[in-house]
Amino acid sequence: MTLPETLNGLLPIGGLAGEVVAAVIGAALIGTIMLTNTAVAGPWAKRKITAKFTDRIAVNRVGPAGLLIIVADAVRLLAKELIVPEGVDRPAWDLAPLLIASSALLGFAVIPMGSGLQLADPETGLAFVFAVASMASLGLVMAGYASNNKFSFLGGLRAVAQNLAYEIPLVLTGASVVLFTGTLQMSEIVAAQQGALFTLGPVAIPSWFAFVNPFAFVLFMIANLAEVGRNPFDIPEAPTEIVAGYQTEYSSVYFVLVYLGEFVHIFLGGAIAATLFLGGPAGPILPGFVWFLIKIWAVFLFTQWARSALPRVRIDQLIQIGWKGMLVLSFANLVLTAVIVGAIA
Amino acid sequence: MSLEQPRQPDAGVTPEGDLDYDELADLLGERVLDREEHINAEGFVVRPDEVEDTLSTLKQEAGFDHLSCVTAQDYQDRYESIYHLKKYDDPTQELSVVVPTTRDDPTSESAAGVFDTADWQEREAFDLVGVDYEGHPDPRRILLPETWQGHPLSQDYNQDKPQIVPLREHANPTEERTNVPQESDTMFINIGPHHPATHGVLHIKTTLDGEQVADIDPDVGYLHRCEEQMCQQSTYRHQIMPYPDRWDYISAGILNEWAYARAAEDMADLAVPEYAQVIRTMSAEMCRIAAHLLAVGTFALDIYGDFTAIFMYAIRDREVIQNLLEDLTGQRLMFNYLRLGGVAWDLPEPREEYFESVRDFLDEWPSRLEEYHNLLTSNELFQMRVVDTGILPPEEAKSYGATGPVARGSGVDYDLRRDDPYGYYDQLDWDVVTDEGCDNFARASVRLQEMEESARIIEQCVDLLEDWPEDERDIQSNVPRTLKPEPDTEIYRAVEGAKGELGIYMRSDGTDKPARFKIRSPCFCNLQTLPVMAEGEYIPDMIAALGSLDIVLGEVDR
Repeated sequence: MTLPETLNGLLPIGGLAGEVVAAVIGAALIGTIMLTNTAVAGPWAKRKITAKFTDRIAVNRVGPAGLLIIVADAVRLLAKELIVPEGVDRPAWDLAPLLIASSALLGFAVIPMGSGLQLADPETGLAFVFAVASMASLGLVMAGYASNNKFSFLGGLRAVAQNLAYEIPLVLTGASVVLFTGTLQMSEIVAAQQGALFTLGPVAIPSWFAFVNPFAFVLFMIANLAEVGRNPFDIPEAPTEIVAGYQTEYSSVYFVLVYLGEFVHIFLGGAIAATLFLGGPAGPILPGFVWFLIKIWAVFLFTQWARSALPRVRIDQLIQIGWKGMLVLSFANLVLTAVIVGAIA
Repeated sequence: MSLEQPRQPDAGVTPEGDLDYDELADLLGERVLDREEHINAEGFVVRPDEVEDTLSTLKQEAGFDHLSCVTAQDYQDRYESIYHLKKYDDPTQELSVVVPTTRDDPTSESAAGVFDTADWQEREAFDLVGVDYEGHPDPRRILLPETWQGHPLSQDYNQDKPQIVPLREHANPTEERTNVPQESDTMFINIGPHHPATHGVLHIKTTLDGEQVADIDPDVGYLHRCEEQMCQQSTYRHQIMPYPDRWDYISAGILNEWAYARAAEDMADLAVPEYAQVIRTMSAEMCRIAAHLLAVGTFALDIYGDFTAIFMYAIRDREVIQNLLEDLTGQRLMFNYLRLGGVAWDLPEPREEYFESVRDFLDEWPSRLEEYHNLLTSNELFQMRVVDTGILPPEEAKSYGATGPVARGSGVDYDLRRDDPYGYYDQLDWDVVTDEGCDNFARASVRLQEMEESARIIEQCVDLLEDWPEDERDIQSNVPRTLKPEPDTEIYRAVEGAKGELGIYMRSDGTDKPARFKIRSPCFCNLQTLPVMAEGEYIPDMIAALGSLDIVLGEVDR
């Protein structure tokens, strides 16, 4: 049962109006949860994590463990002047941050977060989530092209090249999971991973696809780093080369939206990885939603670790890794999985 | 073995390996009008229209392959350009070529056809002093804005006249901004002066062909602070010494001070007690480690992105060095520790405690370096990025006057600490690090290994200082209260700074202030090699090459 259906049962309104109200409340709830996560991740957790990697302390003055920096940063960023450079391509320039932020958020509509938190569960869930996630690339191109800045333009071009090279391996690796489950429905994919793969003494290793097919999981995590644009693939931003890439000209609220979109996107990547490979919200003792949060934060931690430790590859090397390496490997993985699935069947 | 050995261009060298100026004069024949005595070398006076010919003879046949510095200055009756020549194989073999021109028509032939490094150096001479170089490929100003009126270091310059250069006058949007033809499908982009990777206010006019760099033109001078002129207005004895700290201001202070100390001490014939020399050597190598740490850290920043751990690790280790230097000198950045004839004060009391903290650092150091090697040189992604990018062939490096880790990363075995010994270096056991790689990786790796050698030097200095008899701890020799070197004494002296050969040319006019004070900045010459390294490469490689050059704009612009 999805969240709006549950809410609809609780609400005293019947009919279409009840469905709409329940859907809106559900969406607001899921959106708030994800934005809260992002708010904690962006101004606070990211600083703390990077500081730990680099032997520093980071924010610790405002509130306990510096947590109130989230409020302080929100006020600071929103209070800044929104600078609109001369000659920007107006509707596109304004729409790009919205598109970047909303496309990632949209993806969470079909993610099963455990404890009954899932907005919708269409049969084409996986296709939907990949489709909306890749809409962010469109936002990056719009931002880069409309900014009337050469650094932004280069960043936008790089974003296209990178996303073209990595979307295909990403989706193909996701498709290898579909070969196992035989369905695109997210809840079914989670359900397919609930059995035990084998038991090690008292510990039962669940049949998460990360354990069933570790090769696909590794491929997916690498492609995901490129998809969310983090080291070694943070080429569209590449601060030391092209200043800040597509987001060079954005300030104030627009900057917040772009930044927010990036973080939601990392969490969406984590959510897809969790659903496809880590058994979704499954886990012992703790409620499903807590496990889901642990898993997406683990993926977030992984991206931050890569950011502190890995050099950025060059754009031509990235294209080479994407088209000559990842694409071939992900096709090999798909064929291999098909053979295994066929053999089992 | 090949039978045909290339002929050694060694005209003018005696069998003992000394320079025979008479033979050199014979080699040049009629072209030598007069011979001057400078403290470091003889100066051959030649006609302004025979510069290229003379220099190319000296380069081809006498082996003077290093145009260390070009100094321009004006006298009451004439302008003068001095080309300080050296040999990469033996920098103690020096020769100055002095080119006088009349005051009315200060035109002199350019040497840019013989030495690539003359390009920028002559531009600077034109900019600040006002000598016109005929046949120069690019006769523009370099440090001052293009609309500047007059030449500040020439005698007829009115220093009181304000010059305001608004952007609309300085930047002409219709001018040709690049050598690349307009019709080709390229994009012009300004990297800097405000850009995360230019390590200061450097402006690189870049023409891109897609992601590839088609043409670059570094534009320097944003941090020009008239350091030469300030030194010319200060007394030798005390007032000049604080300025060198501000050239290469990123921890290389004592190395810079030593350049001035060496030149001034040789000029005034001052002795330095051995004890002071050991302290100088130790503190200078500490500065070198601190400067190289920052170089490696920021290089990692350029390759990894702005959240890398390596940069913070480098800063953490540099902090230890900074504390040691602070204990010694009382300062963390602008040390002002050296004095003519010695150092400002002895090691801090209690000495044992200081030695112990230095030894603690030295004990930790190998494991720290190991960490950098793990994170950088043995990281495969890092290798993928920097190996075989930013190639600087050794011949180009020499022609551009590259020195320091940049030259040594191209396999040019040139280190003034060994080749032109000063201080206590020749009595210590250490090695010059070179790498044949010629790429970005080689330059970073040379710096990492040099830090190891510097630690060896520091260790030996500490050993020496610990056992130094208490009654022989002279930190300062007798130096007159006012220094007034003989009129028309000229000297060019260089030391091995953190970035390479840091040279000082001084001419005295009998007063207590130098009549001309010229700084030969290693960063300035090294930066000239950037187009060689970067053109045809991708933008990230250009940024990496710039990082591997390790420039400090304070020293480039002075």
